[in-house]
Amino acid sequence: MSVEEKEYGFLRANALTLAFGGLFLVSLVGQAISGAANFNAQQVVNGLEPVSLLEYVTSSSFGVDVMENWQSEYLQFFLYIFATVWLVQRGSSESKEPGSEGMESDREQKVGRHADDDSPTWARTGGWRTAVFSRSLGMLMGALFLLTWVASSIAGWAAFNSEQLAQRQDPVGWFSYLGEADFWNRSFQNWQSEMLAVGSMAIFSVYLRQRGSPESKLVGAGHHDTGQTG
Amino acid sequence: MVHVRRRPRAAVALAAGAVLLTGCSSAHEPEVERVAGTFDDTSADPQQRCDLLAPATLIAFEQDESAPCADAVQDLPVQGGAVESVEVWGGNAQVRLAGDTVFLTETRAGWRITSAACTPRSGGPYDCEVDGP
Repeated sequence: MSVEEKEYGFLRANALTLAFGGLFLVSLVGQAISGAANFNAQQVVNGLEPVSLLEYVTSSSFGVDVMENWQSEYLQFFLYIFATVWLVQRGSSESKEPGSEGMESDREQKVGRHADDDSPTWARTGGWRTAVFSRSLGMLMGALFLLTWVASSIAGWAAFNSEQLAQRQDPVGWFSYLGEADFWNRSFQNWQSEMLAVGSMAIFSVYLRQRGSPESKLVGAGHHDTGQTG
Repeated sequence: MVHVRRRPRAAVALAAGAVLLTGCSSAHEPEVERVAGTFDDTSADPQQRCDLLAPATLIAFEQDESAPCADAVQDLPVQGGAVESVEVWGGNAQVRLAGDTVFLTETRAGWRITSAACTPRSGGPYDCEVDGP
């Protein structure tokens, strides 16, 4: 049974976003507190003074720890959104039906003259507006990945050089930092977990179910049924 | 009609973000230079020079020299000289003088020396006469 939007109220209609937004904030605060404690333990080992929580959350050390996670999340979604256009996983709730790989027809996508009264304006207008809107989700994720990856490289560079000086070593330039093991270790350690998560979800959803979740097939759907979510 | 050139907002935002992410370090350079220059000035008051050492470095220095800092600091082989470069990253800094390289850290009392009378080593940390733990 569907519920009319106007009967739902803002909180209930946006509960998923609000819940994960709240969890994000709680997690970020937890990272700040535990990160400051870990940073100060290392400060003492190096014979340096501990810093306050405010000093830590405005430091490059905290900045890189946050940005390196954000960039990998946006990379995951960017690749996932584009990969699911062209690649399929038979039986997965995360996949299109085999045989429907590619951009699909205008009629299937409700574009141009096939748009209905509820279709967004740019889906109907055609030309560059429809072309951009048709790719807007992937473009945004890709742009956010590039921005956060650059931010991660800048914050990582600053944190790396601060650590270099604490250890009586020379700092390096930004281009040199891009060749450092520290930068690529931070990138790859985050990327591997994101790719594992997507791959796991793709294959687990073939054989396992979660009743009521749109991320799962219907409990009674066959293992070879693709894309039938609950 | 006069055309006013405005900086792209995105470029300004990115530059501001880079400054924040790297920690506004350039504002500390004058103080860092002053502390490094004073410590390496052999004509300065010995106790004044010792007061510029970070606490952990002061303790380690006196233990290594088996003497009070004010006595031992006068025998340090530092040559000081003109400031050639300053690097400030977060709460740590490096000053290259004509005759020495000095490392500093930011404390509640201001910038303090963590290592001095340092010479570079290939592929490793500097070798310093004055050093912390």
